[in-house]
Amino acid sequence: MTPLRRSVRLAALALVLVLALTLPVPAQAPKSGGVLTIHPLTAPPSLSPHEESTIATVQQVSACYSNLVYFDPAKKQESIDTVIPELAEKWSWQDNYRNLVVLLRRDVTWHDGKPFTSRDVKYTFDVVRGAPDAPVKLRINPRKLWYENVEAIEAPDPHTVVFRLKRPQPSLLLLLASGYSPIYPAHVPIADLKTTCVGTGPYKLKDYRPGEFVEYVRNPNYFVKGRPYLDGVKWVHIKDRSTQIAALQAGQLDVAGSGWNRTNAETAKKGKPELTVIESDSNVNDNVLINAKRAPLTDERVRRAINLALDRKAYLVGPRQGAATFGGAMQPRPSGVWGLPQAEVGTLPGMGDPVKQKAEAKKLLAAAGYGPSTPMKLTVSTRALAIYVDTASWMVDQLRQVGIDAVLEQIETGVWHPKMTRLDFQVALNLTGTAVDDPDAMFFENYRCGSQRNFSGYCSEEIDRLMVEQSQTLDRAKRLKLVHEIDRKLQAEGARPILGWGKQYAVYWPRVKAFPQHENSIFNVSRLQDVWLDK
Amino acid sequence: MRGYVTKRLLIAVVTLFGMSIVIFSLMRLAPGNIVDILFESAGYVDQADKKQLERELGVDRPLAVQYARWVGEVARGDLGKSYRYDMPAWRIIKPRLPVTLELAFLALFFSILLGVPFGVLSAVRQDRPLDYVLRVLSLAGLSMPAFWLGMIIILFFVRALGWMPSITYVSPFVDLKANLWQFMVPALAVGYRSSALIMRITRSAMLEVLREDYIRTAWAKGQRGTLVVWRHALKNASLPVITVVGIEFAFLIGGLVVTETVFNLPGVARYLVDAILLRDYPVVQNLTMFIAVVVVLANLAVDLLYAWADPRIKYEKA
Repeated sequence: MTPLRRSVRLAALALVLVLALTLPVPAQAPKSGGVLTIHPLTAPPSLSPHEESTIATVQQVSACYSNLVYFDPAKKQESIDTVIPELAEKWSWQDNYRNLVVLLRRDVTWHDGKPFTSRDVKYTFDVVRGAPDAPVKLRINPRKLWYENVEAIEAPDPHTVVFRLKRPQPSLLLLLASGYSPIYPAHVPIADLKTTCVGTGPYKLKDYRPGEFVEYVRNPNYFVKGRPYLDGVKWVHIKDRSTQIAALQAGQLDVAGSGWNRTNAETAKKGKPELTVIESDSNVNDNVLINAKRAPLTDERVRRAINLALDRKAYLVGPRQGAATFGGAMQPRPSGVWGLPQAEVGTLPGMGDPVKQKAEAKKLLAAAGYGPSTPMKLTVSTRALAIYVDTASWMVDQLRQVGIDAVLEQIETGVWHPKMTRLDFQVALNLTGTAVDDPDAMFFENYRCGSQRNFSGYCSEEIDRLMVEQSQTLDRAKRLKLVHEIDRKLQAEGARPILGWGKQYAVYWPRVKAFPQHENSIFNVSRLQDVWLDK
Repeated sequence: MRGYVTKRLLIAVVTLFGMSIVIFSLMRLAPGNIVDILFESAGYVDQADKKQLERELGVDRPLAVQYARWVGEVARGDLGKSYRYDMPAWRIIKPRLPVTLELAFLALFFSILLGVPFGVLSAVRQDRPLDYVLRVLSLAGLSMPAFWLGMIIILFFVRALGWMPSITYVSPFVDLKANLWQFMVPALAVGYRSSALIMRITRSAMLEVLREDYIRTAWAKGQRGTLVVWRHALKNASLPVITVVGIEFAFLIGGLVVTETVFNLPGVARYLVDAILLRDYPVVQNLTMFIAVVVVLANLAVDLLYAWADPRIKYEKA
């Protein structure tokens, strides 16, 4: 071989190598089959998402149901732009966002073989909004408020539904896309849906044993052709976190991580380095409830002092082990859509120099009549669960640093919410998550005068007015401005001081593919139709 | 004997009646109630709905009426409806009973299998190296909580073998081998602790009996050592051992909560704790009554075994 020919060959070989390394690798084709075994946060109290207020139910039942619309599982951030059709073929807003017209798919059947029609949609939302002519009533109806702006629901033909609203509300579509908004079958008694599931979703219920597992098999008649890839999904209820980690490492679980902290994820990874750990933001925040109706917290200076005393950076490295982000009432950006600008977040109470802030807190307390000789006695209440107690214990320490004689009170789960609702506490550490990252969900539920989840009892007519105003503002930029205005006021008034927004974890074996995780909601991501196993 | 058993069963009925009042009252004395819990995190709570639910569950009725209703239902074999799961309590309790019973029996089996022979050996070899080794082992068993030992065993299996017992319950009627694998580790972990107690009791009872005149006589007559120890001495030393075994069994039925949690076994004890936290009265009351029945029956069995172990004990009137 001549040197020239050799050079040409080497050059050609080099070119092929360069091309092979630089060209995008074709995505692996999804494989069908296998059963995904996964553990949920906890066992669900029932299988009826419309009657429950826990992620446990939504997480484990979403695979069975479908919504009119849903958040795209592949997009990490949920927003109005990531809403995709499910049972709806298409939709349109009419009369300046007063009427939502939804055209339904015609190829959908329920798991029991009955056809899906607009009657099912009308039935579902008439029941949930507690319409006077609703055929049945839910025993517990946690999200009735979500649909209080719906005046009527019409089903002019089997494949068309019209939501008529009292005032414009573009966010209604986001509420409809939540895991809390599945369509129920009108022909199945609603009480039966607590222990069984008849849906139109990618998986059919195979077996449900309370406190043990929820098991699904593939729905061969699922309306999305070629989905789901898996033969089934099994949610196994494992209470002990060490057992969850061991089960994942032993390969008995494909996916774990619900309710884990960073240490749990790192422990699992340390034992089996091949595990994939996904850490992402979440829409659950640690917040402080200050009961302004109970002495000594009636004094605004005391409330401010408490807010200042809680050093947010110490919170990050302490109870949150470095896994949290800071923000106001709305989830911070970039994972959240409506959060305050980051520069502004840095100026919120508790975010500054801890020495200076603690000194200021002491001054405020002194002005209110409290000092080393007359220390303020305060009880910090929290739920008797590790994730609450860790942060509440840290709070007690922070408050003691400014001279407050704080003690910790752990409250059993069964008594926690009734106590909060009655405002039967002084200061409390609470965790709050909302189903969708939208001001209509967050503000109305947690800050509106008289709302039953407004646990701090905060009430401002001005804020209430602004809440309604932002809800019906159609221009997104203007709405964002209004939301920031509300958030700023809430933070300035210490309505419910936010310590930070926690992180969430998904830990799985490399064989698990396309496992979805959204950064601004844990509630709307468990359909699992695109997940597949590379076995 | 029949008269004695009848009398004991009648006493048992009275005991269980007393227990039912205690169980019922304690649940009502605990703060919080199921209706508040069911509505706990609801964003919208209609007070009329709450009242309706109270009526539906019957918790708005006077306590005496609620108690009478419960006892009446139990007498008819109706365990009521779980408030939390809105399904018959029996449907929840039934699959959990065999899990706990199997674990308790297996644990007891291992504890007797290890505890009695080691206790005898320890007594026979008193103050010799084997005695010291067995005493250290028993002390370790008493000092280590079963759940901790179980967790250590699980971690060992996972790290060393990449294996752990199944995390979902496998019925012995579906796969006996898998079922035994699943229960072996927790039963050993729990059985080890119980065996330590049984061993210590066996040892001290044996030491006492081995010093008795009739044992000395047996030795003097030249009887074989194994016969003296295992037949004459052990049978006479078995009364306190039987008592401990009975108490341990009763404890195991209700006391396996953490072990069931660590090994993810869907048993009675684990569920009972959840039901208490949720104030699911029908489930708590019926499960606790079940445990009470087991304790009463275990005690009766122990008393009857006394007569077998020691012929001097007679239950009939002279």
